[in-house]
Parts: sequence; structure tokens; C-alpha cells
Amino acid sequence: MLEISELSASTGNTEILDGLSLTVNAGEVHAIMGPNGSGKSTLAQVIAGHDDYAVTGGSVTYKGSDLLQLEPEERAREGIFLGFQYPVEIPGVNNAYLLKAAVNAKRKHHGLDEVDAFEFLKLAREKMTLLGMDQKFLNRGVNEGFSGGEKKRNEVLQMAMLEPDLAILDETDSGLDIDALKAVAKGVNALRDPERAIVLVTHYQRLLDYVQPDFVHVLSGGKILRSGDKSLALELEEKGYDWVKEAANA
Amino acid sequence: MTGLSLPDKALERAVQSLPDDSLSETRHAALARFLERGFPTTRLEDWKYTDLKEVAEISRRWLEGGATSADTSALDSEVQRICSSIDADWIVVANGVISPGVISSSGTSHPGKGITVSTYSESSLAPAFDVPLADFNAALLTDGLHIRFNADAANDRPLGLLIIDGTDGLPGVAQTRIRIEFDDGAKAQLIEYQVSRGDADHYANAVVELSIGNQAVVDYVRVQNRAENHIQTHRTEARLGTRSVLRYSGFDLGGQLIRNDLDVAIDAPEAEVSIAGLYVAGDGQHIDNHVRIDHQTGPARSTQEYRGILGGRCRCVWNGKAIVQPGADGTDAEQANHNLLLSDRSEIDAKPELEIYADDVKCSHGTTVGQIDDNALFYLRTRGLDKKDAIRALTRAFGASIVSRLAISELAESLTAMVEARLAELTESDSQ
Repeated sequence: MLEISELSASTGNTEILDGLSLTVNAGEVHAIMGPNGSGKSTLAQVIAGHDDYAVTGGSVTYKGSDLLQLEPEERAREGIFLGFQYPVEIPGVNNAYLLKAAVNAKRKHHGLDEVDAFEFLKLAREKMTLLGMDQKFLNRGVNEGFSGGEKKRNEVLQMAMLEPDLAILDETDSGLDIDALKAVAKGVNALRDPERAIVLVTHYQRLLDYVQPDFVHVLSGGKILRSGDKSLALELEEKGYDWVKEAANA
Repeated sequence: MTGLSLPDKALERAVQSLPDDSLSETRHAALARFLERGFPTTRLEDWKYTDLKEVAEISRRWLEGGATSADTSALDSEVQRICSSIDADWIVVANGVISPGVISSSGTSHPGKGITVSTYSESSLAPAFDVPLADFNAALLTDGLHIRFNADAANDRPLGLLIIDGTDGLPGVAQTRIRIEFDDGAKAQLIEYQVSRGDADHYANAVVELSIGNQAVVDYVRVQNRAENHIQTHRTEARLGTRSVLRYSGFDLGGQLIRNDLDVAIDAPEAEVSIAGLYVAGDGQHIDNHVRIDHQTGPARSTQEYRGILGGRCRCVWNGKAIVQPGADGTDAEQANHNLLLSDRSEIDAKPELEIYADDVKCSHGTTVGQIDDNALFYLRTRGLDKKDAIRALTRAFGASIVSRLAISELAESLTAMVEARLAELTESDSQ
């Protein structure tokens, strides 16, 4: 589904990704771990198409096509979803409006009719119940005045509504209490599907107790230093990131 | 003569051609004053950013064309359309001429109970004048509209003032004058809707006086959606009584050159004024809002918040001034102006002013000028929204705080649609 090869990217004059390669197939859950500043968020932003980052080398192929040619909205409609580490507050843009516009933009792209108001509300309420979210969030400004946990649940709600083929969740677990973490994990697990791939970008092993990854990668200095199964995450928790760096340098 | 002048003889002929009636004396006095001073020029601080050369030019062409009051029958269908689409009792002033009677969607021909509608000549009222544009207005005024709300006024529906202007062929000039009195304890909702039709250049000049009695509560919404070759200068003077409330909103969506002056005098204690405004300007537009709130006594509270959305090559001006006179202790005055620039060819001249001569006061002002937030734009695009749709959503959100506080529900739907249509035009042309 996603084939990243020798990807390099920079912002300003700073090189952040340095020849990163990663393959993600349908049905797989990958966890990308790494210390702060290792390039985890940059990788997520580059895949989503943020123009603050210039791709200076390598390629990203998504469903067999060059992903880097697409605008952010085209990537979204083709099934890529980025859950933001810091979801943006947009006062005055109604949460329900955004959800509906997002769902319909994707449906239109795939030649489907738009959902009507009734269908939309039914679907939204269903997903909100699953995530333990109060219905009142529908009528508030996007993330406006939401707590950290509410913002992350809102990201997962958007993901649940859009049913992406490739979901990248950037530190969706950071700053969550245990209830919010469980709700988020429930939302992610509900999306697990043989047709779908999920990439969890995380700093800690905690989320992986609730969402079991098939692969764990350690990112440091803009490239993947080590890959393994879920036992790698536990090993990291125990030995720290320096252990991987030292092993790589040895 | 210090200002922009007009040909004396032609102007005198135009004033003389108006009927000899109870307004004649004032017309000649106002004319003499105007001939002395002319239109204000950009040398004056209050007119620094707004040049009335075009006003003088249209007026000159109108005088040369015989200074006729244009036929209004071409406006009839538009009048019908507007009066039936917004649920209000409408009084129509077309090219400065007051139409008899009241039009409403339900077909009634009388204003609501406790509301008296007459003309200046019927009420033996003389138009006041002191500033040059009011001089010009009083000199050329056919007749003014005089409205009175009694304490028991049954304002089930808002009262609408439809100020419609326009001609085909020769350029037009029209004067509108309205005085509204609110008796002690009156409650009233008013819509002043300024529109224009026709292909000729046009200059509309209006003066509105609001005299608000003790404990009266007035909701007033002014909506300007004029044509791209129409010029408007508009002056509202409001005076507030003890414990009275004025909630005023102004929406400027169209026009070539628009200048609105809103002058509020608080000369009785515990009055409350809240003013909100939204201006949306695109290519070729110039929209200037000057607000002056004169706290002559306290305690009293005034707030004003104007928001501007600017796209293409345009210029907007906002000047908010609060004056706290000696002894007006307990004054609380807030002013804010926020602008969203969609194009690097848009210009905003924002000027908050505070003049404080009393000790026990609370005054604040804030002005911002910004662009679309890149992070918000990217966020919306990652959810699949077109760049254009995302910009429109963010632009709409920027104006939403002004639109959503509209106190007159009968107007909400039409106004939202008007703003939406204007934003669509703006974001369409700027995203190309």
C-alpha cells in the first residue's frame, strides 16, 4: 500500500529525514517509535503533504502511484488520514460541518452520492457512542476549547467517519489519561481490517498495550535504525533509545 | 471654499427646482453653507483615506444632466422581491423619494400599532445640518421620513427601511433623510437595507437620526449591498437616554465607494451601546467605517467590534473613536477591529482612538490584521476539503461572530445567504 524509499526531507535548511525506507502493506499495523526530534512527526506530515517540508530525495508510492505529486486533499480522498499530534482549533467552523464536508468530499471523489443530513447524523452518533464522546461536540467549533483528550478523540472520530485505507496517527496517545487512551485504542482497533493499514507514531510503549502492532520500527536521525515485532517496543521501554543507537553505531 | 466644489449656478438651479414648501428655507440655508465649504477633502484627518473626488464628479455630471430625480418604476420589481423575501413592514425610499404606505409580505399597508410614519413636511420638521455632507443632503432633500415609536409600539415584525437607488443612462444623485424617535420605554427592531440597481453611476447620500428615549431598547441592523458603480455616504447620529439600549450592526457587502459615519452621543447615565460591523470588500471597492462614541456622562458602557474580510485590490478603513468627556466617570468603552486579508493587494487602514478626560474609566482597544491561518488550512485540506472550500470555510468562520449575534431573526437567513454569496465571489477570484 505504502512504499517509502530512501526518503529525504528538510525544512528551511535543516535536513530531517535522511534516506528513510519503509513498506506498509494492507492489513498491517506498524508502530514508529523514536526519541524526540528523530523525524517521526515530519514523516507523518510529509505523507499528508505539508508544504513546510521539501522532499529532497527518494520516493513515496501509495497504491502504486507517486504520492508526492498529490495535493493534501487528493491524498485524503484517496484514503490517507493523518491524526494530528496537535489538532488545530478552528473557531467558527462547526465540527459537524467539517465531518460532513470531509465525508462528502471523499464520496464525490469516488463517484458516490453525498450523504444526506439524516444519514450523516446517524453515522456520526454511532461513532461518537463508540468513542464515548458527547453529542454536543458536533455543534462546537472544530477542537475549539477542547481538552487534550477531547481533541484526540475528535481526531479518532474523524478517522472513524472517513474510514481511511491508510491511517497515520501522530502521537495520538500523548497527554491522554487512561480512559481517553482506552477510547482511542478502541477506535483504532475498530478500524483494523485486512484491507487497511495503520501507522502509529508514538514516543511511548503505552498505546501498544491496547493496540498490538505487527511491526515496530525505531526512527532516529531521520532514518529507521531497527525494525522488529512488538517485543522490540518492550525492549525499548526497558533499555531506552540509546541502546538502539549504540547498537547501530557498533 | 476649502473643499471639493460643484458649479454654483447649476447647484442653485437644482435647489430652486425643488417644490416651494416648508423645507425651502432650510434648503437655501444649507446650500449657502455647502457653497462655502464644499465636500471635505483628504487634507482633513477624518477624510485622509477616503477621497470624495468621485462624489463631486458624479454630482457634477448629474447637475449637467439637469439634476432630475430619476424615475423609480424600474426599481419596482426589486422592491417587491426584497419586501416579500424578508419578513418586515417595509417603508421604501427610492432614489430619495419616499413611497407612500407600508409593504409587507403579508400585504398590510399600515405600520404596527404605536408606530407613526410621516414626512418632515407633514411634521413641520426641518433637517438638521452641520457637517458638509449633511449640508449637501439638506440642500437637495425632497422630503424626509419621520418615524415615531410609542412606548406601547407593537413591533411584531421589524420595521424595514428599504433605501433603493439606481437609474439607467444618466448618473443619479439621491438624498435620503430619516429621523426616528423612540419614546421612553419603547422597544423596536429596525432594518435599514441599502441596495441599488441600474447601470448608471450613482451617488446616494443619507442622514439618519435616532433619538432614543429613557429605557428604550433598539435593535438596528444596517445592510449595504450596493452595485459596484454606486457610491454611498451615510451618516447616523444617535442620542441615548437614561438606561436605554442600542444594539447596532452594520454589514457592508457591496458598493464602489462607501463611507459610513456612526456618531453616538451618550448624554444620560446607564445607557448601553453595542455596535458590531462586518465589511467584505473585493476588487475595486473602498469601504470606510468611522464610528465615534461620545461618552458625555457616566456610568455607561459602549462596545464596538468590526471585522473586515478583504480580497483583491481593495481598500478598507476603520476608525473607531471613543471620547470620555470630563465627568463621565464609570465609563466602560471597548473597541476592536479585526481584519482578514485574502490578497496582498488589499489594504486596511485601521485606526482606534481613545480620548479620555475622566478618571474613573475602563477603556480598551485592539486591532489585528492577519491572513488565513496556514495550519488551519492544511488541517482542513488533510480532511479532503478543496483549498478553495477550506479558505471559504475559514473566511466564513472569521465573519461568523458578527453574523451570529444578529438580534433580528427575520433577517438572519437572507443576511447569511448574502454574506455567503459575497464570500464565494471573493474566494473564487482570489484562489485563482
